[in-house]
Amino acid sequence: MTCQHARDHFPELLDPRTAATAHREVRSHLASCPACQHEFAAISRTAHVLDALPVSPPSPRLRQNFYALLDAEKAGSSSIPFAAAKPSRRFGFIRWIVAPVAAVALALLSFVAGTRYTPAPAPIAPDRAIAAEADATTAHRKIAELERKLDTMGQLVGYSILQQQQRPTHDRLRGVLRSASSASENPDDQVINELISALAFDPSINVRLRAIEALFPHADQDVVRAGVLASLSREQNPLVQVSMIDFLTEAGDTEARPALEKISLSESTDRSVRDAARRALAQF
Amino acid sequence: MLAVRAGELDALGELFERHHGPLFGFLLKLTGNRPAAEDIVQTVFQRMLKYRHTYRDEGSFTAWMYHLARRSSSDHFRKANAAPHSTDPANLHGHPDDAPHAALHATARDDQEQLYAALAQLDHHDREVLLLSRFQELSFAEISTILECSVGAAKVRAHRALRTLKEIYLKSC
Repeated sequence: MTCQHARDHFPELLDPRTAATAHREVRSHLASCPACQHEFAAISRTAHVLDALPVSPPSPRLRQNFYALLDAEKAGSSSIPFAAAKPSRRFGFIRWIVAPVAAVALALLSFVAGTRYTPAPAPIAPDRAIAAEADATTAHRKIAELERKLDTMGQLVGYSILQQQQRPTHDRLRGVLRSASSASENPDDQVINELISALAFDPSINVRLRAIEALFPHADQDVVRAGVLASLSREQNPLVQVSMIDFLTEAGDTEARPALEKISLSESTDRSVRDAARRALAQF
Repeated sequence: MLAVRAGELDALGELFERHHGPLFGFLLKLTGNRPAAEDIVQTVFQRMLKYRHTYRDEGSFTAWMYHLARRSSSDHFRKANAAPHSTDPANLHGHPDDAPHAALHATARDDQEQLYAALAQLDHHDREVLLLSRFQELSFAEISTILECSVGAAKVRAHRALRTLKEIYLKSC
């Protein structure tokens, strides 16, 4: 056996798992070759010091961050069965019906109150009274028309939101994945809008995470970056927040700087999100 | 991990408690940077959560974890390279030695410090294969899966890395 051949087998001799079964020829060569003994002693000493290198434990921050992440994920996962459960769905149904109807009703009420309680007009000359009456009739007609339009619009908005939210989570997730696939083939405005809407409004964390992933290839579009930035301010889940911050960082969107500074200083924000915001600011 | 994949997320807490220490040790030696090592450990467990549905019961969990760690580490340094003040430990040998004067340095000699310095001078891939082979109780079959190479290539690279480390280390003693 040559020295080179013997040295090729040194790792087996140094590894406690394979030392016992290492070639007998290597051992006998080592016993009779001072040069290889010297080499083996040097490598063995290096390996010994390497194995004995101490490592101090990580800071407690690591454990805290991990369990915060786990809690957030558990909360996010549990939102899916909640969404599928009957009572919650009924609550969601009522919420999504009541909210737009209440908004439309409030707008109508404000409008009617505004028209009824305007100050009484000052006395006017008789020749101008006829013209004023004609103007008032036209105005009333326009108001009635506007009220009708507003009412129809309110119904449409409510119906659309209802349709969207009534779908189960897995169905909405499939919709986002379909949008993502068509966005990669044909990134038109409607598909991008659907993905941004899912990111901003979908109650499921999984759907929002898929939406942000699907938007990554379109980060060069202003509308996409603006949509993600706007959604970041209302997002509550740390996982989605961190993904959004990563997105804005990758996109190099310097307009996100004020929002990131605010997040990095907010004590009420999850620590991992604050850290992500600080890292993003450092990269900018 | 199969339990985590099935939805028992608390099981990941047990995996974290069991593995985060050795994983942190590996990453600290690999990067020479404590905050970076902690960030990467955090990212690894975050990715385990995120991609738990993709976990397949093929090979060991430890091998899968180090595979994720390797990816997360390269992502971390790819991102950090765009930021100011970032330094890849693999490039340290290209910079002037900031150590104190040789006479002072000689008095403060310490085997472990010397070895940390020698490790930092190794090529990143050599350091990686060496640390995987010496510390993580992984077989060469698992290491070859993590590094995406053959078992023979993993063995040769580990041996070559140890030999290079020995030369750098003994030269500095």
